[in-house]
Amino acid sequence: MTRPATPDGVSAPGRAGAESYAALVWRRLRRSAAGMTGLTLVAIIFAMAIFAEFVAPIDPYRAETGFSSPDTISFFDADGAFSLRPRIYPIVDSDKLDPVTFQPISGPDFAHPHYIGVFVTGFSYRLFGLIPGDRHLIGAVDGYPAHFLGTDKFGRDILSRGIFGSRISLMIALIVVSITTVVGTSVGLISGYVGGPFDAWAQRFVDLILAFPQLPLYLALTSLIPITAPTSVFLAFVIVVLSALGWAQLSREVRGKTLSLARVDYVKAAVAVGASDGRIVFQHILPNVMSHVIVVVTLQIPNVVLLESFLGFLGFAVKPPLISWGLMLQDTGTFSVIGSYPWILSPVGFVLAAVLAFNALGDGLRDAIDPY
Amino acid sequence: MSPVSPETSDYAPPERLDSAAHTGAPLIDVRDLAVSFKVDGGVVDAVRRVSFQLYRGETVAIVGESGSGKSVTARAVMGLLTRRALVKPPSRILLEGADILRFPPNARRKLRGGRLAMIFQEPMSSLNPVYTIGAQIVEAIRIHQPVSAKAALLRARELLEEVGIPQPEARLRQYPHQLSGGQRQRVMIAMALANRPDVLIADEPTTALDVTVQAQILALLRDLQRRHGMAIVLITHDLTIVRRQADYVYVMQLGEVKEHNATAALFAAPRHPYTAKLLNSEPHGRVPAIPAQAPPILEGRKVRVAFTLKTGTWLKPVFSDLVAVDSLDLCVREHETLGLVGESGSGKTTFGQALLRLISHESGEILFRDIAIQNFSRQQMKPLRSRMQIVFQDPFSSLNPRMSVGQIIEEGLKVNGIGQGRGERLDRIREALRSAGMSPDVLSRFPHEFSGGQRQRIAIARALALEPEFILLDEPTSALDLSVQAQILDLLRQLQSERGLSYLFISHDLKVVRAMSHRVVVMQHGRIVEQGSVDEVLGAPRSDYTQRLVRAAFEVAD
Repeated sequence: MTRPATPDGVSAPGRAGAESYAALVWRRLRRSAAGMTGLTLVAIIFAMAIFAEFVAPIDPYRAETGFSSPDTISFFDADGAFSLRPRIYPIVDSDKLDPVTFQPISGPDFAHPHYIGVFVTGFSYRLFGLIPGDRHLIGAVDGYPAHFLGTDKFGRDILSRGIFGSRISLMIALIVVSITTVVGTSVGLISGYVGGPFDAWAQRFVDLILAFPQLPLYLALTSLIPITAPTSVFLAFVIVVLSALGWAQLSREVRGKTLSLARVDYVKAAVAVGASDGRIVFQHILPNVMSHVIVVVTLQIPNVVLLESFLGFLGFAVKPPLISWGLMLQDTGTFSVIGSYPWILSPVGFVLAAVLAFNALGDGLRDAIDPY
Repeated sequence: MSPVSPETSDYAPPERLDSAAHTGAPLIDVRDLAVSFKVDGGVVDAVRRVSFQLYRGETVAIVGESGSGKSVTARAVMGLLTRRALVKPPSRILLEGADILRFPPNARRKLRGGRLAMIFQEPMSSLNPVYTIGAQIVEAIRIHQPVSAKAALLRARELLEEVGIPQPEARLRQYPHQLSGGQRQRVMIAMALANRPDVLIADEPTTALDVTVQAQILALLRDLQRRHGMAIVLITHDLTIVRRQADYVYVMQLGEVKEHNATAALFAAPRHPYTAKLLNSEPHGRVPAIPAQAPPILEGRKVRVAFTLKTGTWLKPVFSDLVAVDSLDLCVREHETLGLVGESGSGKTTFGQALLRLISHESGEILFRDIAIQNFSRQQMKPLRSRMQIVFQDPFSSLNPRMSVGQIIEEGLKVNGIGQGRGERLDRIREALRSAGMSPDVLSRFPHEFSGGQRQRIAIARALALEPEFILLDEPTSALDLSVQAQILDLLRQLQSERGLSYLFISHDLKVVRAMSHRVVVMQHGRIVEQGSVDEVLGAPRSDYTQRLVRAAFEVAD
């Protein structure tokens, strides 16, 4: 399409009618490959967390052989001929013994393949505690417990636990980010709009928070909170600590934007028509800092997800029977375990996917969100 | 875009009308220049089939409004287009017969700052703030000439002398921020002259400068041209400057040359309707007289506004006052337009906003309809707000981008409790838009969908919706194109006669003030220099400063 430049240099109103702000952002976000990939992944991750019972192939609490290796999906039958139907050959001990160790030699049992299918019948559950069901997105057709990512030390399926673990990890992230966003935006708005000595003191307090050494604090917390403390205490603590340290950066940024917006002509025009302070802050300043806040939110969620898994690795995690990615990573603390059973590191993959997805979405949004 | 057929085309002929008068080939001969830009969702043809010729030692002006493609044309000649720009065949830019578009990148780079030099609108951003003036001129010299740093520095000193900068020795060691706007533009000119260019392209060289400084810079360019026989391409939107400087004029609109002719002939007899419209857009006419003893509507008595500056060290701060408005009296009468004139930094905007109690003042009385409002709180001011309104200079920052046109105009009605219910408010909003010359069905659209002129109409509609008695117009047209400015001025005059409004009209443009005002107040450095009726002040200025302003503004135009 070629269109002539308009006399005023502003884009020609070739589009029919008005385009809302959201529509503009969406149009620009759609052009960003990274942003759209991120958005898709984020949607998948949230769907996975919400419908965990359906997505997970196996009951996450069902214990079998500990540290069993991931089942590999095969497209070849026992004769080595290719077939489109995916299957798993269970690992079984054969009659033969190793001539040196006299251990039974194990290997795939080609005689009894378990076919993989979608929407298979598996453990029964109640979705959202209400809707009963026993169908699962993927699994062995005959109900054989296929461990696509292997099992942990108690023989529980790592894939299913990772899928269920996303709930707690994402919940912590969402709660913490909601708190930091509300607190950070409010403090920033008030500090920037009121100005004067109040602003000066508020910003010194923000300095204090920003200067807080976080890593030693987390390490201290792991030893401060007894290992036997109940999950609720842990959850409350993590949320309080991460929120208390997380709002300062955002408030500093919002304050800066507020300072400059408070001097813009349209704010003066609002004063000139007699608008109140509340109206100026909520109608004129807040909507114009929101774009920045939204981007910060999408970039803060992965930070909290990372912190949660990091704290879990340090031994500071939710208590079973709850599952979180951080808790799962506790098992990876010793070298010998990782060396022998590397698949227990696979929760890292969940964290990685979530962090990358949110970051990509945040990057795409940052470019799209200020279309003017 | 439909192809332009020969019948519908109103392209100007590619050859100059006075080419017979010139012996020899033109220095620069641009033929069928076409530049397009890749933008969101398509391609914009910024320049289409532009041809122009420039001979040695003359000044050619390229005139047009924003978006006409005049700067893109200049940048294409310099080779300074962005990567998103595409120079399309069969464009040719001949420098003494050689097509520089075909030059390898290295040869083109040698031309830039060598035979072709350019100066820009904003001299602050064209100079690097972390290097001294001397270092920057020396660099410009040594890129093109194999001379020692010492010799280059001597040359830099000569250049500064040549462009009329006092104490060149000291200036060489200073940084850009230590110089005034006019001096920075002189430094830019010195850098452009460093390698004795054949062609100087000046892209709106004086737009960012005050009128009196503007006159000095233009005189300098004329003088340098005479001494060095340099050809100048002057890109501008200001017809007064064109008439003063140019030998030949090209008029551009929508990326095309609409008309070209020798300056005198063009101004005497424009042939293309667009040129005629442009010439006709120069502010003209007068406002009808008002009764001599109309009652005052807004009065300031000994108003003083000062900002506290903190210098010295942290432990031992030194506070000093920067007086922006120094105990000034001012009185706007009913149905009157009072022009408040001054250059940047004169305190005119501060004075205006202090009178409306939008910024706090230190002392003095402010009376609105004989009510003393100088100590009113924001709550006390509220009932008066709908009676006094303001229109700002920049229509891009005066409308909240996140609010629709309807919301923007409705805000004043809402906070002042005007109109019963949404239906009645909508009627008032539509009426205000209609009065401001906008279609009333734009309510749900957002400011970014409108051009500068349309936005300014929306800002005027916002003020009108409250049915004020007084409007402070703070440079309402200085961000707009000439033809749009003419429309807005007409609108403001019409509204005044229909509604009996009173205006305080702040402007740096004397031509606009003459066309709009009954009386004029001239400000300089926070003080009033001169005041009186338009004819007195602009016709027979008494103070030296006003005389200089008037000369700079009207010298050629009248």
